[in-house]
Amino acid sequence: MNTLWIVVIGAVVIYLAYNFYARRVDRMVIQTNSKRATPAKMYMDGVDFMPANRNVLFGYHFKSIAAAGPIVGVITAANLWGWLPALLWLVVGVSLMGWASDYSAIMVSVRNDGNSLGAISHRLIAPRTRVILFTFIFFYLLLVAGAFMGIMAALMDARPDVPFGILVLALMGLLAGQMLYRWKLDLILVTVVVVGVTLAAMILGPLGATTKLDAAGKPVGTNWVGPINSATVAFDHAVNQITGGKPVMSVVDPTNSDPRLSNPSLYNKATGQIFTLPSYLLWALFLLVFAYLASTLPIWRFAQPVNYIGFWITLLTIGFSAIGAVLAPFLKPAVGAFALPAFCSPANVAANVCQAADGGFQPLANGAFQPLWPMLFVTIACGAISGWHALFGSVGTARQLEYETDALPVGGGAMFAENTLALLSLVAVSIAGVGGGAARFAAGVGSLLSVVFGSGFVPYGTALGFGAFMVIVLTVTQLVFRVMRVTLSEWGGEAAPLLRNMHVSTLISMILTMALVLTGTWVYLWQLFGASNQLMAALSLLIVTVWLKSLHRNPSYALWPALFMYVTTLAATLVTAYNLYATIAIKPGMGALPVGGAWAMILISALLFVAALFIGWDSLQAYRRYAHEASTPATQVQPGD
Amino acid sequence: MQIQLKWPEKLRGIRQVARDFMYGMLGMEFANHAMEMRASLESLFMLATVGEMIGVPVLPPYYSLRLLPYLVPQIKTWKRRVLREREFTDEPDYHLEGL
Repeated sequence: MNTLWIVVIGAVVIYLAYNFYARRVDRMVIQTNSKRATPAKMYMDGVDFMPANRNVLFGYHFKSIAAAGPIVGVITAANLWGWLPALLWLVVGVSLMGWASDYSAIMVSVRNDGNSLGAISHRLIAPRTRVILFTFIFFYLLLVAGAFMGIMAALMDARPDVPFGILVLALMGLLAGQMLYRWKLDLILVTVVVVGVTLAAMILGPLGATTKLDAAGKPVGTNWVGPINSATVAFDHAVNQITGGKPVMSVVDPTNSDPRLSNPSLYNKATGQIFTLPSYLLWALFLLVFAYLASTLPIWRFAQPVNYIGFWITLLTIGFSAIGAVLAPFLKPAVGAFALPAFCSPANVAANVCQAADGGFQPLANGAFQPLWPMLFVTIACGAISGWHALFGSVGTARQLEYETDALPVGGGAMFAENTLALLSLVAVSIAGVGGGAARFAAGVGSLLSVVFGSGFVPYGTALGFGAFMVIVLTVTQLVFRVMRVTLSEWGGEAAPLLRNMHVSTLISMILTMALVLTGTWVYLWQLFGASNQLMAALSLLIVTVWLKSLHRNPSYALWPALFMYVTTLAATLVTAYNLYATIAIKPGMGALPVGGAWAMILISALLFVAALFIGWDSLQAYRRYAHEASTPATQVQPGD
Repeated sequence: MQIQLKWPEKLRGIRQVARDFMYGMLGMEFANHAMEMRASLESLFMLATVGEMIGVPVLPPYYSLRLLPYLVPQIKTWKRRVLREREFTDEPDYHLEGL
């Protein structure tokens, strides 16, 4: 297998699914009509409701959905089971479910006066569905913040070439906000300056570093002796002297995915202990300050420009990697060949290449289960199907749709485009031989960029891979805290007015997140987040199903994916709860902190499970109600009228 | 009847599509945000001048009536915007991108 084949498979599947399935549903079931007025035209206010050209809207929707999700999930899944299951789920998932979820959420909103999914579920299913949806959102945010903060702090602690680029990103974010909105400079000029400087800072991180070789001349690490990276090492060392170089605490990662595993000074292979040094806490604090600024400053001042810079970095990294993936089989076949096994075998597990042999149906060495079904389907959420797209597509894109017939190219098309991003991540992670998920992705990016820029670019390309990974994750995390604080204010503001203070609600969100970061295991956090995300996808498809049923249309294209995702995510929640229980909560020798964190996550799993049961029951009742109604509801407009 | 496009026209079309896509991906959020900032200020101004239309009397009617001819074209849109039921997921400031 090589990189070109993935590109070909992706292109063929997307072409077939879009033209022979999605278009058919658009024409036969939803029956979009370009002559019917959309909410953007009916309620045009120049701000929320504003018709936009479909090509513009496609770019806008794509930018809104594509970043961390399709990259992190794929990396984690390939690291667990091998590249083939990830590839199959990506192409099958997006073809049968992903586009349907995004497109349908937009269309159901368009046909319901541009209302959000929450408001529609309140009316179509039951009032409590909206409340449960917000419960999901809160835990979803908490889990994703915990997973992302954990992996980012660990990366910054383990890789001295990474922090400088992130520091510069923060400064450039502030500068970009000032240049754009206060000095009112041209966007192109601002882009050239801030993106150029950030990119240079990321690439120059490893400048001067040399490869450390063992007696046999085999590379065993890096000598951080360059001007930037050695300064970071010295800084970390000085911070660690606070405790005399001793760890503050130690944790065990039963999933073997913590980025600190690659650093011998932070990981004891014999005992499996990962040491949390003061430098780790300091980098976590730095990230919290970063997120605090994004959460509390006006969005134009920091969060939006940082997001913008981050998107450019991702675009350039992934774009050049894609060119490298296409050219590699012709120019550098060795780079284009897959090093990761297609399907993880016991021998691969023994060699520490992947973790879940033979589909993960047998317990892993640490006692955890990672069976392909259901865990693959929650580990890879975005890229295949994602509930978050549906939630925000219904309030953002749906209100700017000029013609109904644009919904498929915009909603479905952007989802297919996001799928290609996930496929490229799969390519990057599959061509790199060893390392954890993020390290493998960065090494893959380094190799692909070396096809375009030459072999000497490998260390800089790898640094850019790490930088892009960090940026992708960080831009999402900063917004997560922003949304978390407003969710907390909405929830508890009535009972505790103090929560309406954005600084208080942000700090509470951060304390809860840090509790998970310090006690949790990021892969379990990620899988639990994936489950909550996919449950939202199931919910959005259930809303579409009930809506179609209320119109006496055939809801099969939404119903079957909804049922599959619903059952799968419920099962995945149970499996994750079991893994937390078996590998951490009752395992002898675990410290009090990880055990406490595991129980907290088990509690969250139970809450999500019960909330999902309520949603399932309410949806079933609504479905039955509409199935037995003979007449068409007066408030609804029939598709195709 | 299908119109056959010549190559230069086709290329112009492709270039326009690419420009639109890039604008949507990279520039639209700034344009939208600028519009929102302006709309917030305008909403405030409308509230101060013709607030009694939505039950908030602020300015003496004499001044409101003098400003009325200038505000009439925007009243319908303004009322629709400020009176619409909203939840926080409606606000672009709280849209979580990239998941």
